[in-house]
Amino acid sequence: MTETTLPIINPLLCTRCSLCVTYCPEDALRMTDQGPAFNHPVTCTYCLDCEGLCPTGAIRAPLTVIWKDQSSNHN
Amino acid sequence: MTVELDQINAIPAFSSLLPETRLAISRRAFIRTLPIGNTLILEGAPAEYGYFILDGEVRALRMNPEGRIQVLARFSVGDPLNIISLLSKDQVNRATLETLSPVTLLALSAVDFSQLTSIYADFSSLLLQFFAERLTKITNLAADLSLYAVRARLARFLIELADLTPSPSGWTQDEIAAHIGSVRDVVGRLLRDFEAAGLIQRQRGQIILLDRQKLMAAAQDQDT
Ligand code: SF4
Ligand code: SF4
Repeated sequence: MTETTLPIINPLLCTRCSLCVTYCPEDALRMTDQGPAFNHPVTCTYCLDCEGLCPTGAIRAPLTVIWKDQSSNHN
Repeated sequence: MTVELDQINAIPAFSSLLPETRLAISRRAFIRTLPIGNTLILEGAPAEYGYFILDGEVRALRMNPEGRIQVLARFSVGDPLNIISLLSKDQVNRATLETLSPVTLLALSAVDFSQLTSIYADFSSLLLQFFAERLTKITNLAADLSLYAVRARLARFLIELADLTPSPSGWTQDEIAAHIGSVRDVVGRLLRDFEAAGLIQRQRGQIILLDRQKLMAAAQDQDT
């Protein structure tokens, strides 16, 4: 995982409802013809709000589970 | 197009099949590859194919009565996909399947699948084994639900994931919730509680487990 890890959006499951774009607290997303896209990726804090809001499961924000002594290898 | 026998043998459970059954599968099956984040099948559509995962991970999603998508389960190498839909009377896909990584699948059409189950008894027995395993998982989860608090089930699953080598790919809160028999909001709340209690630390895309002893103690919590 790095500072640029971003939620993954599956355009095939997206209905373009715009909920994620509207409610992203960091204004990181914008709507395009292909569905939501990252407008300002660096502002995304990986807060998981968009994943929880999306009614169709189109957004996925996976979390890796590791022990503390492993974390230095993953940063 | 036939599939190489090597690819058939790459599915561990197929090792119990007779050589002629493996040959029959190789003559009927084909390989499908999909990139990450792709939809393999859609819930409600006619069930046309069954699959076995050769490489990669897939998750099953289903629409709940409130019209929201719910994560049902995750599948990995060796697991069969869409078999229940193919064997059901109405032959409709029970769930949407989405790839969580680049995926390679062994695919069988509904017709070929039906022929294999009626001609090759060992193939049918293998499917029964798969169903028995799934049923066992569900039974174990039901037992866990009555024995352990969701807090304990979450602590146990976090330890399990962190102990796996190599580290598995990431899990979402919905996927964790589906696996431990809970819902996303509860998992989110418990992760915040664990963090406040110094058991874990969350940072971008990671859950870092800080204290094995405290997590083990939480995993024994029987207060359901
Ligand atoms: S994870 Fe949070 S900050 Fe990033 S796009 Fe989604 S809602 Fe916005
Ligand atoms: S909330 Fe989901 S369905 Fe709606 S626009 Fe965003 S990704 Fe698409």
